Amino acid sequence: MSIPKLEFPPFHLPPEAEALRLEVRAFLKEAVPRIKTEDRFASWNTPSPEFSRELGKKGWIGITWPKQYGGSEKSFLERYVVTEELLGNGAPAGAHWVADRQSGPLLLRFGSQEQRDAILPRITAGECFFSIGMSEPDSGSDLASVRTRAEPVPGGFRVNGTKVWTSGAHRNHYCITLVRTSGQHGDRHKGLSQLLVDLKTPGVTIRPIINLAGRHDWNEVTFTDAFIPESCLIGNEGDGWLQVTSELAFERSGPERFMQNFYVLRELVRVLGRNPSGRAAAILGRLIARLWTLRQMSVAVAGMMQGGKSPAIEAALVKDLGTIYQQDLPEIARVISESDATTEDDMADFLDIAQYATMMAPSYTIQGGTTQVLRGIVARGLGLR
Amino acid sequence: MDKETRDMLLETAGRFFTERCDRAVVNNVEKGEWPADLWKEIEEMGLPLIAVPEDKGGVGGTLADMLALLRLAGEHAVPVPLAETALANLLIAAAGGEPKPGPATLALGNLKLSGGRLTGKILRVPFAGVAERFVCVVDKTLVVVGKGAAKVEATPSHAGEPYGSVTFDNATAEFSGASAVSAERAFELAAVMRAMQMAGAADRVLATAVEYSKQRVQFGKPISTFQAIQHMLAELASCVAATIASAEAASRDADEGGLADGGAFSIAAAKSQCSDFAHRISAIAHQSMGAMGFTHEHVLHHYTRRLWVWRRDFGSESFWGEKIGAAYAKAGPDALWPSLSASRYPA
Ligand SMILES: Cc1cc2nc3c(=O)[nH]c(=O)nc-3n(C[C@H](O)[C@H](O)[C@H](O)COP(=O)(O)OP(=O)(O)OC[C@H]3O[C@@H](n4cnc5c(N)ncnc54)[C@H](O)[C@@H]3O)c2cc1C
Repeated sequence: MSIPKLEFPPFHLPPEAEALRLEVRAFLKEAVPRIKTEDRFASWNTPSPEFSRELGKKGWIGITWPKQYGGSEKSFLERYVVTEELLGNGAPAGAHWVADRQSGPLLLRFGSQEQRDAILPRITAGECFFSIGMSEPDSGSDLASVRTRAEPVPGGFRVNGTKVWTSGAHRNHYCITLVRTSGQHGDRHKGLSQLLVDLKTPGVTIRPIINLAGRHDWNEVTFTDAFIPESCLIGNEGDGWLQVTSELAFERSGPERFMQNFYVLRELVRVLGRNPSGRAAAILGRLIARLWTLRQMSVAVAGMMQGGKSPAIEAALVKDLGTIYQQDLPEIARVISESDATTEDDMADFLDIAQYATMMAPSYTIQGGTTQVLRGIVARGLGLR
Repeated sequence: MDKETRDMLLETAGRFFTERCDRAVVNNVEKGEWPADLWKEIEEMGLPLIAVPEDKGGVGGTLADMLALLRLAGEHAVPVPLAETALANLLIAAAGGEPKPGPATLALGNLKLSGGRLTGKILRVPFAGVAERFVCVVDKTLVVVGKGAAKVEATPSHAGEPYGSVTFDNATAEFSGASAVSAERAFELAAVMRAMQMAGAADRVLATAVEYSKQRVQFGKPISTFQAIQHMLAELASCVAATIASAEAASRDADEGGLADGGAFSIAAAKSQCSDFAHRISAIAHQSMGAMGFTHEHVLHHYTRRLWVWRRDFGSESFWGEKIGAAYAKAGPDALWPSLSASRYPA
């Protein structure tokens, strides 16, 4: 009896990463309270260009990239530590997050020299922010069905179509956009390409889409005969699918998939007070144990990536477990706080937090690949499909 | 033990367990039969002495070697107290004693030692019904009591293993010595031992359910082709992977940090996590296998029933959760992330 093994061998972050952790922590202790943001509880999707610039000055954006682009040529594990410290300390790291996590690495791997020279130094300086232009009204989980069309014209492409759920497009500079450059709608993975779209391009219109919590994070980005120069094609024409899937691996594997609402756990500790009932302590401890386990698994994935492997299935598995945990957390925390909060004031405050977290929770298991899409990937890893 | 030696030992032991711990052996234990031959062979292989130093007649493996072996034993539902005896022998040797042949077990909990005599009652002692001796840690003393000096009331576990309560009434020790570990630590070591057995059993549950889904045909095709089943098994795989990952991380931390106190927090977190997921793991596996998985005939219950028992042994998720939660609450919110990211209790 043998099935493919999905193992997460325990992995130690190396001493240089742990040393960097202390440095980052000391910086955040000073910077996070100083920098005002619109959110009371900041996370990886709370933007603050001011914060990103300061982080850029420290050399902590694009930390693994070559020095010629302002990177520090540090390991993937050091990047891991920076990201988890940002999350663990409630830093408003949203402005540069996508550029650091996936757009920059994509350009490094597939972009032209001209694109790299023009863009990467601005990303590492914390001055250039990216959106993801994948989803469309008729293409969500089934990403290969995108219809946005880039028709080759002299000197570039004429683009028509609509992207939706484009987070941050109203604030960011660029959007890496998945388009069809050749073939027909039904061709699936063939004929797709990625374009580096300057969001100020004439013919590109950005309209807000408001989410259920009343926030404007999302946008609809419409292309109407927008001209995109040939120099903005990323990689080869027709390689878009391959490139976009490599981008998704970066998108799925990070600690933001289980630490997005870390503030709930933190505030739960506060509201339960220093001496909670045995029942409340047990519930808190079980949540901490779950988070600890996720972290062990995620660090193991980082170790595999550093070791040159591409643990796509393992990353999907951790994202599945992590997002479900994030969804459970506000609910469990609310229930226990209702019976065990120390004071009425603390309680009112905490319910406010839990309420906000509850409203955000449905998004975790949708963005970056739904639970069902992830389980499909894991099932394939088990040899079931 | 270097990696090569360990891999070889695990391979040999794995083959041995596959051949000798078949369905009938496990079922017979449930009927109250003691598999004397199996135990004898296990002893001949030196397995209960895996973590006893060579100069004491042991195999000379580390705590991590022992725990790796016990994960494997969990994967085969080995129905004898290999885990309990291996840990007991490790503790006896570390306290200056000489491990003796025969199955032993751990009677850990609230006991009193006065004038070298032991008094108290411990409930749910694993394999109490077949153990030759009981190993206890009281304050800083390790006490070994022979079965003749203890009163055992057998109450088989829900997995049919000969658990029971053990009463010491001014019992004379067969051996006592300065313990290398505190009573609390002995309990922690037993917890990581169970967590690793749970990891093994969980792994087997997944393999069993995946295998079954490929063979069982309904509506003209293997049920593994149904998306509902694929998604259930994917979730099962996640819970199993988390169980294994947490147990392995705790095992590493316990070993690297030293016998006296290594990985205290990791062990607590892992045993809480493993116990927590035992329910989802067995629920999904049983659902995916229909009535067949609910029969006594099929082996699935050898593993799911053990998970249900083991999650309560040496601290359930409530026990370890409370310990973690109380310590973290006491330290307050600012200590949460620094402690969690260092895998330790707040200072
Ligand atoms: C907060 C947030 C931010 C986002 N930001 C961006 C962004 O910046 N850029 C961007 O391009 N996109 C973004 N997205 C979009 C995201 O990528 C999509 O929502 C996601 O891929 C799912 O697509 P969908 O919403 O169209 O759902 P659908 O694909 O329509 O899915 C609906 C339901 O059907 C299920 N389903 C679909 N296909 C299958 C199948 N084959 N088998 C079983 N079940 C299936 C899904 O799991 C889901 O439950 C964001 C989404 C959220 C929630």
